[in-house]
Amino acid sequence: MIAREDRLPPRLRRSIFAVTMVALAYVILAPLTSIDAAQQAGLPLLTDKVWFRIVTTVLMFVVLASAWNIVGGLTGYASFGNIAFFGLGAYTVGALVANRGWPFGLALLVAPIVPALFALVIGLPLLRLRGHYFAVATLGVGVATGEVVNNVGPLGASTGLFLPIVRSDLLFFYLMLAAAGLAVLTTWVILRTRFGYGLLAIRENEEAAAVIGVNTNFYKVAAFCIAAALSGIAGGIFAQWNSFINQELVFAVSDNVQMILMAVLGGAGTALGPVAGAVVLELIIQTLAGGGSGSVYSQIGLGILLAVCVIFIPRGVIDFFGGRSKLSLRYFRQTLRETSA
Amino acid sequence: MSLLALSDVSKRFGGVNALADVSFAVEPGDVLGIIGPNGAGKTTLLNCISGLYHLDRGDIRWESASIRGLAPHRIARLGIGRTFQIVRPFPSMTVRENTAMGALFGRPGARLQPGAALSEADTVLDLVGLGEKRHYPVLRLTVPDRKRLEVARALAMRPRLLLLDEVMAGLNQVEIEQALEMVRRVRDSGVTIVLIEHVMKVIVGVCKRALVLNFGRILVEGPPADVLKDRRVIEAYLGQRYAREQERKET
Amino acid sequence: MSQFIQQVILGLLLGGVYVAVALGFSLVWGILNIVNLAHGALVIVGAYVTWALFTRWHIDPFLSLPVDALVLFVIGYALQRGVINRLIRAPLLFTFLLTFRLNLVIVSLLLLIFTADFRSVTTTYSGSGLELGNVIIPYIRVGGLAVALVLAGILWAILNRTRIGAAILAVGADRDAAQLVGVDLRHIYALTFAIGAAFAGVAGGIISTFQSITPTAGDPYTLQAFAVVILGGLGRVSATVAGGLAFGLIEVLGQSAPWLGSGYANAIAFVVLVVVLVVRPRGLLGRLA
Ligand SMILES: Nc1ncnc2c1ncn2[C@@H]1O[C@H](COP(=O)(O)OP(=O)(O)OP(=O)(O)O)[C@@H](O)[C@H]1O
Ligand SMILES: [Mg+2]
Repeated sequence: MIAREDRLPPRLRRSIFAVTMVALAYVILAPLTSIDAAQQAGLPLLTDKVWFRIVTTVLMFVVLASAWNIVGGLTGYASFGNIAFFGLGAYTVGALVANRGWPFGLALLVAPIVPALFALVIGLPLLRLRGHYFAVATLGVGVATGEVVNNVGPLGASTGLFLPIVRSDLLFFYLMLAAAGLAVLTTWVILRTRFGYGLLAIRENEEAAAVIGVNTNFYKVAAFCIAAALSGIAGGIFAQWNSFINQELVFAVSDNVQMILMAVLGGAGTALGPVAGAVVLELIIQTLAGGGSGSVYSQIGLGILLAVCVIFIPRGVIDFFGGRSKLSLRYFRQTLRETSA
Repeated sequence: MSLLALSDVSKRFGGVNALADVSFAVEPGDVLGIIGPNGAGKTTLLNCISGLYHLDRGDIRWESASIRGLAPHRIARLGIGRTFQIVRPFPSMTVRENTAMGALFGRPGARLQPGAALSEADTVLDLVGLGEKRHYPVLRLTVPDRKRLEVARALAMRPRLLLLDEVMAGLNQVEIEQALEMVRRVRDSGVTIVLIEHVMKVIVGVCKRALVLNFGRILVEGPPADVLKDRRVIEAYLGQRYAREQERKET
Repeated sequence: MSQFIQQVILGLLLGGVYVAVALGFSLVWGILNIVNLAHGALVIVGAYVTWALFTRWHIDPFLSLPVDALVLFVIGYALQRGVINRLIRAPLLFTFLLTFRLNLVIVSLLLLIFTADFRSVTTTYSGSGLELGNVIIPYIRVGGLAVALVLAGILWAILNRTRIGAAILAVGADRDAAQLVGVDLRHIYALTFAIGAAFAGVAGGIISTFQSITPTAGDPYTLQAFAVVILGGLGRVSATVAGGLAFGLIEVLGQSAPWLGSGYANAIAFVVLVVVLVVRPRGLLGRLA
């Protein structure tokens, strides 16, 4: 009953749908041209190493942004600690494959379980907090978990873990694609069930939700665990894909902020918003990073981009993020008055 | 057996005794009015019953089983619905969706699916007089309509006990008449009601019994007409102006 | 036993640093209702100012503290007035994202200017300390604690003894009412942020005396400032002092536990944070929100 997407005008919806389908077909089919058989048949090569790296990264962020969206967008708890789930998933696969010699496929099955259990344990105390307190406490989770991992000898301590290299762009691309599909599908289903309405009610007014019978604690923790499991899968795939993990790589708080920006930019609380946000923002980031001297300029560029948005369309950023933007001069002036002191 | 019974319920906020040793019972079929000056502890009382606040002392029993310390959603599913004095709609949803949420989560037995909850909402919205505005986003509703929506969402839970917190504040005479009619209909459908109100006409018009709170204590309890005549109540609650008017009438 | 006393003293001295770092953070949070994730970056800017003055002109780090304050005051005023102010009434998530990005921008700029090399300020008295039996008290750290307490005194005086302070407190209590009685909201906001930044700068100056600095060295301090404010409670200078000292003690004693080590500073901060938030949400001395 409550689907934001439904509020777009039908024509716009149809064209968005068409464009999405074409893009999706391209993304799914293009890698197949890199198979030997396709090459022998003389098909043009539509992908290369860089293509795979970029698109797989985009898909990874689709998973992360969608997972964040379940907690931050649907339930209204802006978590800055989801990166811990990604990291734990990565280290689960890392430890099982590198230390125990498990096959990657088997280890990947465990990757969602460990972060989900972790979310279960920390969820109850953390999800009692609201606002700034929740945000910074979860930020602390991200930092502290990374730090602890960084001190544990069997996990490679500060050196990190090396996994046997698996050379197959195609495999990791399709794995990440499946994970992204799973994340989007999960959100889509949640949005159409009683569970999803419970989460929305909590976001909109938690006390009102409680007195009409929503088991708020259970719902919040469940959402947290689902997000953790999805992020853990992405982390697990990343570990083998990259064949090397350490604290800086898989517990980067800036990645957490990235996934939030993506979800919020595309439209928090919707199933497809985080996908759109992840695609757009990750492509911008890749462009900035590819344009010159590495990540310093891309950080500055992103920061300036955000600052410019904030200065010139302050309410625009918010409304735009909330999916309500109408771009006109009058609107700029009015919103400028409303959000600044 | 009483439906709801409070014994020695107490609640403090820092130095403020919001509730002190409050005891009373609500019988099935009752319509109990609660009045009292601003800050008397009326809203705090509802928050204690619905489990949003933990009691410092005392006990609350529902059909003689203690509900002290139960989570709010469990209390709700026992069949206790409530409204908020400062309305708390779900802002991104329509009137109909808001109401359906009550049906979706508040039913103890059957788990409704979203579709069924929506048609349930339609029935309730007609009852409270919001039928024609069911597709409005809540942010377009006037304050009186938002209060009606609070009632609708609580009613959609099919509660056995309905707690109403000043749902008629700010209504004009015509609207109060309509609201009174609504309360009577709800009562006639077998729901027990506790209502907090400042409007005397409502208390006299629909309540079987009334109870006066002042500084967190029960001052008087009894039939509304008697309670309103009690001198302590006139002094404590209705203030000097009302007392003077009374004198003028008598002379 | 003397080992324990040594740890307690070191804890309190470290606590002084946390007091200095948290004062400005707490002011900005309390008045502007912004949790400034760029606070640690501002601290490190102050540290670099001190380092630059020391390596260029051999200015004693403690003498350069007023310069830190001045530089950061100007930066803070401009940042708030130019950027942050635009989102002051926006939902919390947005100020959060904005200040986090700001942090990355400042860190990146520092990387460009100063590179990622470790920089340190080593004075003639850096290594020495007061020896009392087995207990050693480093002079530098004592200086840091003294500066922190002076800072706390200055902040208290500004807030409680000046007209500007009264205006700041009024804005913190109720911005609309303050505006009605003629307070220039934008100026007060910018000023509050600038004062917070200036305090961060001084804290950075202190930090440069005992720790080598890199552009990212400030990041842990943001989380620690938050933990200090939670521990002490929001809304009072004395609460920040108590929170900072207590936090320093907890950290040093925690790290000296045999099964932990110096690698766990953030983890300890986080555990303290969550325990306090859950057990006593308004902190040791905090007022009810
Ligand atoms: N959450 C709270 N924290 C602190 N004090 C509270 C809280 N809730 C209520 N109080 C205090 O408890 C007392 C009773 O408040 P309550 O809201 O119950 O009064 P009321 O009878 O509903 O008044 P009104 O007619 O204005 O609605 C007041 O002094 C109020 O300030
Ligand atoms: Mg009230």
